[in-house]
Amino acid sequence: MEAEAAAAAAAGTVQLERTVIKAGDHVIIRMPSSNTKIVCIRADTTVSLGKFGSFNANALIGHTFGHTFEIVQNGQIQPHHQPGFDAADITAANNQTIVDDPKSQKLSFEEIEGLKKQSLMGAVSASEIISSLTANNEAFAHKTEFSKSKYIRRKQSKFNKCFVPLETTAYNLCDFFFSVNMQKTRGIRTDTLAQMLALVNVYAGARVLCVDDGQGLLVGALLTRVLDQGCVLGVHDGDVPNYDVLRYVNEPTDGRLKTLAWSKLKYQQPAFAEPELTASASENDVLGRARRLRGHQKLADTLAELRSGDFDALVVSTKYAARKVVDRLLPYLGMSRMVVVYDQCKEPLTEVLAWMRDSHMFVNVQLSEGWLREYQVLPSRTHPTMSTSGGGGFLLSAIYVGGSV
Amino acid sequence: MMFHEYKNVIEDGDTVIVYLNHNSMSPLKVEAGQVYNNRFGTFKHDDMIGLKYGSKVVNKDGKGFVFLLHPTPALWTQVVPHRTQILYLPDISFISLYLDLRPGKIMIESGTGSGSFSHSIARTIAPTGHLYTFEYHEIRAQTARKEFIEHNLTDVVTIEHRDVIANGFGKRNIADAVFLDLPAPWDAVAAAKDALRKDTIGRICCFSPCIEQVQRTALALDEHGFSEIRMYESLAKDYEIRNIPQPDIDEVIDGQRVSFKPVKSDKKKRKLENDSACSGTDTDANGSTVKELTVTKPTDVVRGHTSYLTFAILAPEEGDDIDMSE
Repeated sequence: MEAEAAAAAAAGTVQLERTVIKAGDHVIIRMPSSNTKIVCIRADTTVSLGKFGSFNANALIGHTFGHTFEIVQNGQIQPHHQPGFDAADITAANNQTIVDDPKSQKLSFEEIEGLKKQSLMGAVSASEIISSLTANNEAFAHKTEFSKSKYIRRKQSKFNKCFVPLETTAYNLCDFFFSVNMQKTRGIRTDTLAQMLALVNVYAGARVLCVDDGQGLLVGALLTRVLDQGCVLGVHDGDVPNYDVLRYVNEPTDGRLKTLAWSKLKYQQPAFAEPELTASASENDVLGRARRLRGHQKLADTLAELRSGDFDALVVSTKYAARKVVDRLLPYLGMSRMVVVYDQCKEPLTEVLAWMRDSHMFVNVQLSEGWLREYQVLPSRTHPTMSTSGGGGFLLSAIYVGGSV
Repeated sequence: MMFHEYKNVIEDGDTVIVYLNHNSMSPLKVEAGQVYNNRFGTFKHDDMIGLKYGSKVVNKDGKGFVFLLHPTPALWTQVVPHRTQILYLPDISFISLYLDLRPGKIMIESGTGSGSFSHSIARTIAPTGHLYTFEYHEIRAQTARKEFIEHNLTDVVTIEHRDVIANGFGKRNIADAVFLDLPAPWDAVAAAKDALRKDTIGRICCFSPCIEQVQRTALALDEHGFSEIRMYESLAKDYEIRNIPQPDIDEVIDGQRVSFKPVKSDKKKRKLENDSACSGTDTDANGSTVKELTVTKPTDVVRGHTSYLTFAILAPEEGDDIDMSE
């Protein structure tokens, strides 16, 4: 390991810190149902996973991401070994004689509810519930091995109390919002976000101009790819940006993120005109002046950054008519740099495409749509998932060569 | 000139991407005194030096022109000389995001193939990360090494000619992510586990064109303690845009002749002036008005399959007493 570390050091690489869950971190929890939720792990609080139970946040602090934990009694959790693939194989059994009959389950509704309650208190384990369900199900024995396995997996997704804490990476956040609140992030799917990042050629030192009306998912994803020598300049409507998604990212973004309101795009900022305070000024006056001076300086810095021009990328996901959004920011973009525009629908991009095609300011203008398909992988049972997303949005990309024509 | 950093002006010795149209691009090393010929004419390298990237250059007789683009990993994927089947952008980008690649990450790739993905990885993890890429085909490894040197990527990429199935990666506990593009990835899963860090989540992606390979890989991943095994296909569909006439059937009913004539070329200009780009009306030679619509359709042939992407994570070892001294 020492030799490796030396080699890594020689190659100019750094080892990242061990990533443990800290108090105050946001964590994506994958539940037995495969649904996910974002929780903030605050010390001395209880994290509720609904029907799967709840646990003490303190029990998770200090653990690493990616493990499977099982909720046991009194809000405690313990590492849980995920069972591997079951060995179900093709057998002679089939569904020829199986007739749907709700009476095949001999446990009553009340009995099952009772078991669930006991399970939540930690008195009965999920596997015990499932064993009693299968033992009392007359049809179970007649099922094929595949069908038995599927039945058990379905019940596990209901009764297990296991969860996996995952990091709020750009991928996981995009996946999360796409499944729970798609409109928040303007319907952008993981593969589409991924393509945007690749197409715009964002890298550590890149200066990226971004319009993100999807609450900051795009800005956040860009920020993961940029270090202090680069920056992301977000242009937004209103006085302050609504980049809500950024609060789930467990890393500071200050310095690399600058924001500018559209209303300040053409703003000619006067010099800071407030007079120096006299010695008798109150503490409030002193603090107020200092705050306004900082605000003034911040705006001056951002305007200077924008107007220094030659940005390395222009990335847009906007609720405004996209053509003008692109057009108004083009003067700040460097030559031979990428413009990428996202929309959930094709039509707004078609308009931009027609304009780009006719304007002679762009080459390699392309309109595309991602196509993503997930598969279930199990021995002898690998197939696409039964339901899948119908669309993950459209991308328009082009290389800006404007000044040359 | 760097593949993982932009610059503004073309200098002697730089690689540019010569753009004729979106189906025709090629890499060119600009060298003083040289000339470059293509079907659009003859271009002097001396005329290119000192220009801004993105500039248009006109050939000797002033008729043909090309654009000189700054190379990027995405453009490189479109022009790289194929020595193997290569990875394309929908796969490259999806794998990169899934594996959480960003500056500072340590990544292992095998095999290197034509280096299409390597360029993209290098750009994303630079300048503080590192890519160790392995290729068992000696000539391919040499060619890729030459390219990495030419593209100034050697600070972030180390290539080794090595059969990783027989010999492993020779790396322990250093990689944040491993990418396996091998005929039998399941035989390299143990080596991948060795190479992955044990103090944080390790991520793996296995890239295989056949479903039978996926089956074996998934079993191997499961046996070696990987979890969250998920499999995806990531493709993209391109659209073409065109304007189509939408004549009014009432005109036919009334006995008039309608025109399906394609849009005239000077129309482009008028559209720009009118500030309306999407749909409008055009007056044909007979003076009758033809409504038209801007429409899109998928290109006739698309890439229908590349490979299946099998992902998994290696959960970190728990506790403070992890032996990292190996």
